Amino acid sequence: MSSEIIGTLGILALLLLMVLRIPVAFAIAVVGLVGITILDSSTSAMSVLASESFTLASNSELIVVPLFILMGNIATETGMSRKLYDAAYALIGSIRGGLASATVIGCAGFAALCGSSVASALTMGKVSLAEMRRFNYSPKLSAGAVAAGGTLGILIPPSTGFVIYAILTEQSIGRLFLAGVLPGILLCVLFIAWIFVQSYLKPDSAPAGPKTTWREKGDGLLGAVPILMIILLTIGGIYTGIFSPVEAAAVGAGLAIVFGVAMRKLGPKAIWRAAQSTLTTTSTVMIILIAANLLNPFLALSHIPQNLGQFLTGLDVSPILILCLILACYVVLGCFLEGFSMLVLTMPIFFPVISSLGFDPIWFGVVVVLALEMGLISPPVGINVFIVKSVAPDIRLQDIFSGIMPFWLVMILAMVLLVAFPQIALVLPDTMMN
Amino acid sequence: MATLLKPLITLTDRLTSLSSIFSTAVLLFVLLTILTDVIGRFFGSPLAGSQDLTQMAMVLIVFGGMAYCEKNSGFIAVDLFEKMFPPLMNRILDVLGLLAGALLFAAIGYTVIEAAEISQMLGLSTNILGLEKAPFQYALAGFSLLTAFSLLLKCINRLLSLCGSQDATEEVNE
Amino acid sequence: AEELKLAHFVSTTHTLNSSIIDPLKQQVEARTNGELTIKVYPGGELGRGPMEQYVRALQGVADITWGLSGYTSSQFKKSMVVELPGVIPEGTSGYDMLWNAYDSELKSEFPGTKPLALWVSEPSVLIMKDKNISSPEDLKGLKIRVSGAMTGKLIEAYGATPVQMSAPEIYNALQTGLIDGVATGASAITDFKLGEVANSYTVGIPLGHIMFYLVMNQKKYDSLSDEQQAAIDASSGRALSQSGEVAWNERADKTLDGLRADPDSTVIDLTPEQIAPFSAISEPFVVENLKEIDGGQAVLDAMLKR
Ligand code: NA
Ligand code: NA
Repeated sequence: MSSEIIGTLGILALLLLMVLRIPVAFAIAVVGLVGITILDSSTSAMSVLASESFTLASNSELIVVPLFILMGNIATETGMSRKLYDAAYALIGSIRGGLASATVIGCAGFAALCGSSVASALTMGKVSLAEMRRFNYSPKLSAGAVAAGGTLGILIPPSTGFVIYAILTEQSIGRLFLAGVLPGILLCVLFIAWIFVQSYLKPDSAPAGPKTTWREKGDGLLGAVPILMIILLTIGGIYTGIFSPVEAAAVGAGLAIVFGVAMRKLGPKAIWRAAQSTLTTTSTVMIILIAANLLNPFLALSHIPQNLGQFLTGLDVSPILILCLILACYVVLGCFLEGFSMLVLTMPIFFPVISSLGFDPIWFGVVVVLALEMGLISPPVGINVFIVKSVAPDIRLQDIFSGIMPFWLVMILAMVLLVAFPQIALVLPDTMMN
Repeated sequence: MATLLKPLITLTDRLTSLSSIFSTAVLLFVLLTILTDVIGRFFGSPLAGSQDLTQMAMVLIVFGGMAYCEKNSGFIAVDLFEKMFPPLMNRILDVLGLLAGALLFAAIGYTVIEAAEISQMLGLSTNILGLEKAPFQYALAGFSLLTAFSLLLKCINRLLSLCGSQDATEEVNE
Repeated sequence: AEELKLAHFVSTTHTLNSSIIDPLKQQVEARTNGELTIKVYPGGELGRGPMEQYVRALQGVADITWGLSGYTSSQFKKSMVVELPGVIPEGTSGYDMLWNAYDSELKSEFPGTKPLALWVSEPSVLIMKDKNISSPEDLKGLKIRVSGAMTGKLIEAYGATPVQMSAPEIYNALQTGLIDGVATGASAITDFKLGEVANSYTVGIPLGHIMFYLVMNQKKYDSLSDEQQAAIDASSGRALSQSGEVAWNERADKTLDGLRADPDSTVIDLTPEQIAPFSAISEPFVVENLKEIDGGQAVLDAMLKR
């Protein structure tokens, strides 16, 4: 049997195992390990398992995962999340879908201090899901908003996605960061537009609150001052070079503890409780990440991405059609591969094609990162979906997926807009850097 | 059979609580380490080797919490089709899922022990503080084996209840 | 025909490809008439990151891997003598020094593998943002990112504060001012796009070098036929290592020349008089370091054929 067929069978087996309710991490790991064993050897599979487990668990950049979860837990424990959503409700709760829109804006803001989509979705999910439920928002809509909004983490700078793309393709990180800003805002606006539409189609899913007076709005804002200060101090610290985006997670958690203790809302027991409940979420997310990284060597050994690339390069059709096919490849591969692994596997193949066809490499970087974002929320291996599930275990996975579906379509729309109007990405880097 | 399982379940539960307490402490320690480093650097004297500490501690947090995560049923499965399957099939699938998990964690434990032996042979340690890599790999392996054991017990338990025997967990919980 | 898997973790456009991988692949395939081929897995396809590369070759995840000794410096204590500042005399090459000492001193640091190439980078430089450095006084209190323990201690001896962070974080850290500069080879300026955020470069401070290895799984090598082994032997070793070292130096020179021509960046080429105060600190530092390494002096003697 050829390696490509084994690769394809592996993907089918993965789908089957997931349908059969084998926990996601175990299903992915089993397929990856068995695949490597068939295409190479069992020693190789075991060695990959050992090194990926340790490498990911000791990755100094992933320390943001437990620390941001801790920050979210402390914010919940001290009632700061509640105050934040009370404020948002007082300000825009009377608009249908207002809170979900506010959450998406919150995700965009959080993306400005965090380079990883995983951490964005985790933190925003911790803070917002229970709160939206408190105001009777449907779990479907809120989960979709958080999972999709969380992906903004890698489109709005700083972004680990752009850094990896830049290093793989020798492009400017600065230009890519600037190029991500407007598409990030565009996507954010499109998400909000969808929430608005949805709340008119199904008013029950995002009920409008009562009108509030200016006084109530002011009181609401006042209550949210501590958490807003924490956010401002954290963003300020990053942009003035006092700490790095990775360290910001510790600073955010530290500040939340200090404020909580100062407001007498937090004792040693509550801190411990918040820290201990961080463990479950961290382990859930990390074992999925470890498993997702086992699929990468398997697919590399199957030569599927490579042959796909060669096939596309050999096609004698118009450049725009090749571009569309490449983007379609990303959308499909994104269903199975962890985002950064996908960049690593595909860039050496697709990038030369794209440059030789005369497409702008910075613009392509933005489109690819957008495709990575879609991969983060598309089944079966949609990391952000599992993240939302891990912070809100009582929401059914099927509800999360169906809540996400429209947001995923919105992202397709954003991609079409980016292809039709490349200026959306290029205007900022072209005017601000030359 | 159920009576045989009972003490084993109690034992894994105790070990799981212990490892979760340990990991929680390590998480708070990492928080303090990074904060000390940030504040120290602001005043011109960062904490030497804070990255070494963070990296190794992270291993303990992630895997030390694994059994605890398992106990809280933290491993996510796709529940899309649960209602379409007959109850018996669902129960069998539960058992298979647990078995897959037990095998995965047992494999991680086994292979990381081998990797730890290699680390010892190569004398691997972190760059600045010289923390040896092997002990952290052994810890990772130990935590994984605990998780595997815990999954395996749950699996046996479900099998027993599938065969109509008593459910040992329920007995312990009472 | 037999196929060897070669894995690395950088892009397909990195200097490594043209200077090490392509020559090895072409020569091996030509010498065996295509009976032995090499398939390259770039960008960490078979496993990400620099930390586990040696172990991957040792365990056979890939047959051949590339790595930086500095990431696992505890394994390469003796080999990394070559990284110390000022130990490579004018007219000598780092790869020659490594191969001179390989059989007698360094072999034990490569258990289970057969090194195909050992070489060193261009001398490290200081890559700074908004700070011009021409004396140790200029470095006082500045935060400099370092990758290894040795450079860390050296930077501290020069009066600066060493800061540890992963390579992809450097760009952002320089941009926001979290760090004032980076001590590493000039090739990193292009590898990590540092030229976009840095604007001042100091060349000539004794900061040492970075050592690289390309190793092959020993069992895999032993399993090959005599002709295939001979083809690998003839295509590797000093000649291949030289190709790497020359390419690294050329790339660094080209980068620095580009920066010298760029009106927005300052390249400070230190004069011997300006280097002297740095050497006054680095020379005793090297002596001290050689003492700390078990048999360090003997290693250096073997490297220099003394
Ligand atoms: Na971001
Ligand atoms: Na996906």
